[in-house]
Amino acid sequence: MGKPEPTGIKAWIFTTDHKKIAVLYLVTSLVFFVVGLLLAIIMRTKLLVPDREFLISNELYNVFFTIHGAAMVLFWMIPVLLGFFANYLIPLMIGAHDVAFPRVNALSYWMYVGACLIAVLGLVLPGRLDIGWTGYPPYSVTGPANTALYVFAVHLLGASSISGAVNFITTIITLRAPGMTWGRLNLTVWGIFGSFIIQLIGVPVLAAAVTLLLFDKYLGTHFYDTNGGNPLLYQHLFWFYAHPAVYVVALPVFGIVSDIVSTFARKRIFGYTSMVIAMMIITVLGFEVWVHHLYVAGTLNWSRIVFMWGTILIGVPTGIKVFNWLATLHKGSIDLKTPMLYALGFIALFTIGGITGIANGLVGFDIHVHDTHWVVAHFHYVLALSMSMLVLGGIYYWFPKMTGKMYDEKLGQLGFWLTLVGALIAFFPHFMMGVDGIPRRYAILPAEYTGMIRISSLFSYIAIAGFFITIWNYIKSARSGAPAPANPWNSLSLEWTIPSPPPFYNFEKIPVITSDPYEYGKPEGHGEEKGAVGGHAAHHH
Amino acid sequence: MDSAMEHGVSAAHGDHGHHHEVELSIWPLIVSVGGFLIPLSFIMAFPWGMSSIGMLLSGVAVVVLIGGLFGWTNEIYANKKDVGLSKVAIVIFILSEAALFGGLFGGYLYSMLPADNWPPLNTPEGVPPLGLAIILSVFLITSSFTIHIGEEKLEHGDAGGYKTWLIVTIILGALFALLMAYEWFELIHEKGFYISLNTYSTFFFTITGFHASHVIVGLVMQIFCVLMTKSFTKEKHTLAKTTGLYWHFVDGIWLLVVSLIYIIPYFKVGQ
Ligand code: HEM
Ligand SMILES: [Cu+2]
Repeated sequence: MGKPEPTGIKAWIFTTDHKKIAVLYLVTSLVFFVVGLLLAIIMRTKLLVPDREFLISNELYNVFFTIHGAAMVLFWMIPVLLGFFANYLIPLMIGAHDVAFPRVNALSYWMYVGACLIAVLGLVLPGRLDIGWTGYPPYSVTGPANTALYVFAVHLLGASSISGAVNFITTIITLRAPGMTWGRLNLTVWGIFGSFIIQLIGVPVLAAAVTLLLFDKYLGTHFYDTNGGNPLLYQHLFWFYAHPAVYVVALPVFGIVSDIVSTFARKRIFGYTSMVIAMMIITVLGFEVWVHHLYVAGTLNWSRIVFMWGTILIGVPTGIKVFNWLATLHKGSIDLKTPMLYALGFIALFTIGGITGIANGLVGFDIHVHDTHWVVAHFHYVLALSMSMLVLGGIYYWFPKMTGKMYDEKLGQLGFWLTLVGALIAFFPHFMMGVDGIPRRYAILPAEYTGMIRISSLFSYIAIAGFFITIWNYIKSARSGAPAPANPWNSLSLEWTIPSPPPFYNFEKIPVITSDPYEYGKPEGHGEEKGAVGGHAAHHH
Repeated sequence: MDSAMEHGVSAAHGDHGHHHEVELSIWPLIVSVGGFLIPLSFIMAFPWGMSSIGMLLSGVAVVVLIGGLFGWTNEIYANKKDVGLSKVAIVIFILSEAALFGGLFGGYLYSMLPADNWPPLNTPEGVPPLGLAIILSVFLITSSFTIHIGEEKLEHGDAGGYKTWLIVTIILGALFALLMAYEWFELIHEKGFYISLNTYSTFFFTITGFHASHVIVGLVMQIFCVLMTKSFTKEKHTLAKTTGLYWHFVDGIWLLVVSLIYIIPYFKVGQ
């Protein structure tokens, strides 16, 4: 039925199909992941020798960590989750033909590409961005950097994110198939839903923050200068979004982990309702902790205490999730396929990062480690490496669905183990350096730390080698993998009930949903049609 | 703007499988090219100091952008469906806009509250022009009523009445925008109150400017509705609904602007 699927280059450039747009997002964000990794390799190599002249200049080091941080957070993690996973999975998981506004969806992607181009300009043109991914004034206003590039990259990304948020929130609210109640949504859908709510409220504030930066730089206004204005205002506005941005990444990741763990342990996800509640609490509470980035910036004393408790509090729903995953694993029949390995590796790294995060949230401790390598270690564990790894695992998990081919399991596991070993150790020395008070963002570190730094760099290379093997595996398997069945994991989730790759129109007819995606081990769910493949019991009428 | 949504929902209940309503569209790409050229022209004009090329490019950008949006809406109309963001979507979008103003107002309060003098001492006499603000408010608040009356008419199937009241709304909105422009001109050229004078002027022009740009977007939507009136029916007039909601929002924000940016500084706290 319907018109035949368009083909050729036009079918990609002018596409409004959510699956194609998802693939475009995936490819573009992977490119930026690689860019970020290459910059990381150069930085880690520069740090090997505490010599001003070695490899790159100190000034270039500043540019590299700026673009590395921005590329990794803004052009890789967020777009891969809310561009790729959201696009690919939401319509399939809620039983829809597409998103609510397919053209707006294409617009979101192309604005993201525009932002990417501007970021590249910021790396190569004179006036290179050396203001850190945070872009703090006064340096970003008075320094030599072409701050306009930073501002406009954020604007385009912001326009892309807000239109995406409106689109997907509307989609999830209005396009769920009959019978797809809120209580039957995959946790991945819930996570993405919470994440888009944060984008919707947070991104405009970031956009405002950087717009005022632009005005200060080019119109001579006084938002952030000390002549009546206040540079702290920027920090408040920036972190009002940029802390919740961590949850923009984390919530979908939590959802994906839950789906993977449930499938490969062949057990119902433990505490579905508590998971959903925890996600929604995090969505709201995420906006209540930003001042923990300003403990030493001169904020009011009482506010430091309030935000310290907010930070500790948000550990509770997060902890609940970890316990729920462990409870799901308990006595499950665990199948250690690559996606599952990534999920388990994620839980390990994330727990290390999370615990150090609670420590970081304590005012007394943070005053000591603020802006040191402790912080670098903390966020690379909790977010950067753990969540990048989980994303790669998620891509493996849905790879057969997307491509209709199986990935190479051996290569998958090899990449995983390299990355895990690298990631577990690479940033550990940074905790110690941080406790010793070594500040971050310096190209030259004291010579007595050279030994630690070399260990760190060595394991960074190992982790990155794992990343590259993984990306290679995607490319290779997409071209020449063995054909995949519709449901290689015997998952009960809706997206696995349709062929691999899904037909152009997703569902021949919009399915009627009679059960939830986690009813493993229940011989008789409330599903009417439970075949051997199982299936979120979709019957067609 | 386009809405496969309604279609999707009906397909869920309906009988025949519907597939992609839109398969290929060139317009999102065109619009984002326009959206990309605008910052690029700014970068040329300001950081790189090539102001004439920058100006030229910004002209091109605006043409591309408008052309893109025009083609986009045209494409939707060719499909002859109910046009306009769904009500759900516009409410969600308004939340996001509210957050934008929340950030700006938050920044304003953050600068105002600890200040010893507000507005700062070098602010000229007669600023803020409260009298003008009251006239502006009268225009905008009235226009919120008139657009509401118009919608009621439409709901009762009176498209002609809708059109009339909408035109009244547009006139009021346009008067607001013109008076605002006049106010800016006066302040800058007569009173010596300009954006880089002090923190207050900085916020004053930024926030009123942001608000005015929303008024203009609202006006464009209304003009579009006037042109489209004949396609509205009692049941199908999503665009009219969304335009109305957006206009009420712009109006509500104005009340906050008046209270925070005009009234409080008028009483010269601390002096
Ligand atoms: C194995 C992979 C990675 C390595 C070796 C690495 C290495 C580094 C290094 C050396 C720095 C600069 C530290 C300093 O001097 O202050 C840095 C900063 C940073 N990295 Fe990574 N990184 C990796 C992956 C990631 C990923 C995946 C993310 C994604 C979120 C990320 C986000 C950041 C951020 C936000 C900064 C701070 C930039 C700034 O200070 O403005 N990194 N990384
Ligand atoms: Cu934070």
